[in-house]
Amino acid sequence: MLIPITIAHSSSEPKLPPGLAKISHDEIVLIELQGTLEVESNHPKERNGKLVGTLKIDEITDKPTLLIGHHLLEGKIVSLPKPLAILHRSSVRSSVDIDSEDDVMDGVLDFGEKEEQRSPAWSVVGVVKKKIIFSKRPMPVKSSVNNS
Amino acid sequence: MQESCLSFSPISSEEAGFFKLLELTPELVTLIEEGTNKYSYAPSLIVKGQPGEDAVICTVDKTYSMRTVDLSNSVLVITPPPDAFASKFTDTGVVIRDQLNEIIELAPIVPKLHKLSTLLRGREYDDEEHDEDASSVRFRAASFTYQDARELIQASDAELNRGLRERRILNINGNLRPISLTYLNQLLELVLNLLVSLSQPHTCASVEDISSALANGHEVPRVVSAQVMSWFGDIHQGKWKIDVDCVIREVGLGILRNHKQEPVAKDIFVAKWTSLVGDSFEHAVSLPLLAVTHLSSLLQGNYLVSTIQDKKYLTYFPASLLPIDPAARFSTLFLTCPRWKGDEILPFLSDIAVNNKERDKLLLKHCRAITDSEGVWYTARAQYNG
Repeated sequence: MLIPITIAHSSSEPKLPPGLAKISHDEIVLIELQGTLEVESNHPKERNGKLVGTLKIDEITDKPTLLIGHHLLEGKIVSLPKPLAILHRSSVRSSVDIDSEDDVMDGVLDFGEKEEQRSPAWSVVGVVKKKIIFSKRPMPVKSSVNNS
Repeated sequence: MQESCLSFSPISSEEAGFFKLLELTPELVTLIEEGTNKYSYAPSLIVKGQPGEDAVICTVDKTYSMRTVDLSNSVLVITPPPDAFASKFTDTGVVIRDQLNEIIELAPIVPKLHKLSTLLRGREYDDEEHDEDASSVRFRAASFTYQDARELIQASDAELNRGLRERRILNINGNLRPISLTYLNQLLELVLNLLVSLSQPHTCASVEDISSALANGHEVPRVVSAQVMSWFGDIHQGKWKIDVDCVIREVGLGILRNHKQEPVAKDIFVAKWTSLVGDSFEHAVSLPLLAVTHLSSLLQGNYLVSTIQDKKYLTYFPASLLPIDPAARFSTLFLTCPRWKGDEILPFLSDIAVNNKERDKLLLKHCRAITDSEGVWYTARAQYNG
């Protein structure tokens, strides 16, 4: 089986806000968290489009912070030991998906089998050399509550 | 201080698993960055593998193994919101496209070309072939094409082409057929004789003259003669510049191949070798002188030397027929000969290691090194676990 990986170029994709764009790549930034973002939901679809928190990059010190609810995370920008290419599977199904949203979910849940017949198309959407890492424990904060 | 609202992507559930992180080596970074800048449209990375095989990723000329490594941390892929949903977000809003817990590590490996010989077993091409054009149907039924090889062999295109060339595999109308080695030697001898009889210089021989002489006089199809010529030199604008060393090597191998069981005395072998290639190249090289150095440089990794009553004997012992797995390769080598000189064992390892550093790692792992007045010797490392 052959899976070609194309290299995306000519960025017509939307750009990140300037503070994030200058980290490494103007369309993609990687954030590493110690732990995972867990969302209580009955259906993975429920979290779509929901607000997580506020990401700030201090312009002078370049210190990133992430405020999630009452918890403030302080992080730093670090260089990756080896650059990472970010591969994205082209949304071959997207045109079909719009017609019937239920099928989309079925498709996602068992795509392992369905994709066997369809050749997945992957592309390199960017090469990233730095990441934001939040490795400290979250600090509880009182002010600036703008939880969703 | 700039603020960005971080949200889950509106299509995050549909896109779960749509992102992968691939750890790049410096040369891959250059390749991808050049691809991005030069607007090249051709896919220059291909993932290859059959179900049940470890997948590899191939560039135009290199092969890398792929290994998934789990991360204890999670990595969020953040992008601006997709165009279709941009209106729902603020200008500085960004979205989490995917949450990943693994990255793919790449490491350069030797292309897995050894499968070729298994896949092509029983398809040898020899001199009886052109008589049975009618019966070639039996091959067509189970033909193995170049395209099949590209799909099944985990190697980059350049490595595959080189592998086909080194293994002397003909591409006849898309079908891959390894040439029978005895036939190849007959052909080479024919060509060398033709060069003399047609008085063609070996630096600039006419491809047309040779292939028509072979086609008319010896019924060798042009498609075969053209490929054989391209294996042993460069063809440029109808002229063939022969790679002398390459021809001498193949002729030498042809003689050596008959001595798999019975060793041949070195001086007899050299005399035979010289007489076979002598006529055509006597102007180019003074063979008797070179033969001795040629033996070590050209036929490296193909013979064993044994000394019986102060006379040196050679046995055919090609690295290409040894096991591919390093452990099995070393145990075969040490069964054949319990002690190896440093520079004698190296030719038998070059095809299983990507570079000298990797090769030395293998030596460290599988051998015990002893240094004495004659240099470094390698013996088998004791294998207590059988």
